[in-house]
Amino acid sequence: MGLIPDFKKIATRSPWIYRINAGSCNGCDVEMATTALIPRYDIERLGCQYCGSPKHADIVLISGPLTVRVKDAVLRMYEEIPDPKVTVAVGVCPISGGIFRESYAVLAPIDQYIPIDVNVPGCPPRPQAIIAGVARAIDIWRERL
Amino acid sequence: MNFLTIFARNLKQGPQTEAFPLGPAFTPERLRGRIEFKAESCEGCRICERVCPANAIRFAKTPDGMTFDCWHNTCVFCGNCEFYCPTDAIHQTNDWDLSHANADKFDMVEHGLIPNQKCADCGATALNTAPMVKNAKPPLSAEEYTELRARCPKCRAKYLKNRKVPA
Repeated sequence: MGLIPDFKKIATRSPWIYRINAGSCNGCDVEMATTALIPRYDIERLGCQYCGSPKHADIVLISGPLTVRVKDAVLRMYEEIPDPKVTVAVGVCPISGGIFRESYAVLAPIDQYIPIDVNVPGCPPRPQAIIAGVARAIDIWRERL
Repeated sequence: MNFLTIFARNLKQGPQTEAFPLGPAFTPERLRGRIEFKAESCEGCRICERVCPANAIRFAKTPDGMTFDCWHNTCVFCGNCEFYCPTDAIHQTNDWDLSHANADKFDMVEHGLIPNQKCADCGATALNTAPMVKNAKPPLSAEEYTELRARCPKCRAKYLKNRKVPA
C-alpha cells in the first residue's frame, strides 16, 4: 500500500504536454514546436514531453481564439484529457481574442468554455515565455496531483 | 578524422541550450515587449488608441482627468503606438516575461492618468498634457515650457501667438 506515494513522486517529475490548436494562425504553434523540438530551448529539461494522444497528457497548451467551427472538436478533445490537468493559454488569442476580438467567427476569451490556469500573452510569445508559463503550470500541477 | 574535430569542438563549447528557466535568458535590447506609458510626456492626441490594431489601448475621461489603459493581454507588440507617438510617451520595453495565473488576468494593465489642472490664465479646467511645441521656432526654453504647460489649450495658442520672437 505504500507504493502510491512513491508513484506520485515519480509521476510529478515528468508532465506530458499536449497541444490543442483552437483556430490559431500557426504562429504560436511554431513557437511551441520551437520550444520543444530544438536544442536551444530544450523543454525536456523540465521533464516535459510532447505526446500525440490527449489521453496521455498532463499539461494542455491551447493556442488560437476558439473559432466557431472548431469549438466542438476542442471541447471533445479537452474532455478526453484525464484529470488532473493544467491548461495553459498560449498567445493573446485564447486570453482575449487579440486582433480577432469581437469577430462573429470567434468565441474568445476561451475561459468561458474551458477552465484556464496559466496565461502566456504575446503574439506570438517568445519560446522563453512559453517555458516560463509551462514552469508555472508544472507548479500548479504538482499541487493538484 | 572530421568527427573528432566536431567532438573536440562540442566538448569545448558546451551545450547550445539556453539556461533560461534555471538561469538568465538572452534578451535582445530592442525586443518588442511590454508597453510602458509616461503620463507626464503625453500630449493627449490619442493617436495610439487610433492606430492600435488590437484595440488594446483605451483612453477614458474621468473626473480626475484622462486615463490611459493598455491591456497587455490584447497587445500584439506591433509597436505602432510607439512609432506614431509624437512625444515618446509610449515606449516598448524588452520585457517579455508576461506569463501569469488566470486569476491575475485583469491586472495585466498599464495604467496612466493625465490629471486635470486649472488654467493659469483663465482658470478653466483643462488636462495637464504636454504641449505640442514640435514646430515652435525658436524652440521653447524650459521656463516657457512650464508656463505653457500650466495653461488650457486656448490660452496656450494665445501664449504662442504673443510670444516675442527675436528677429
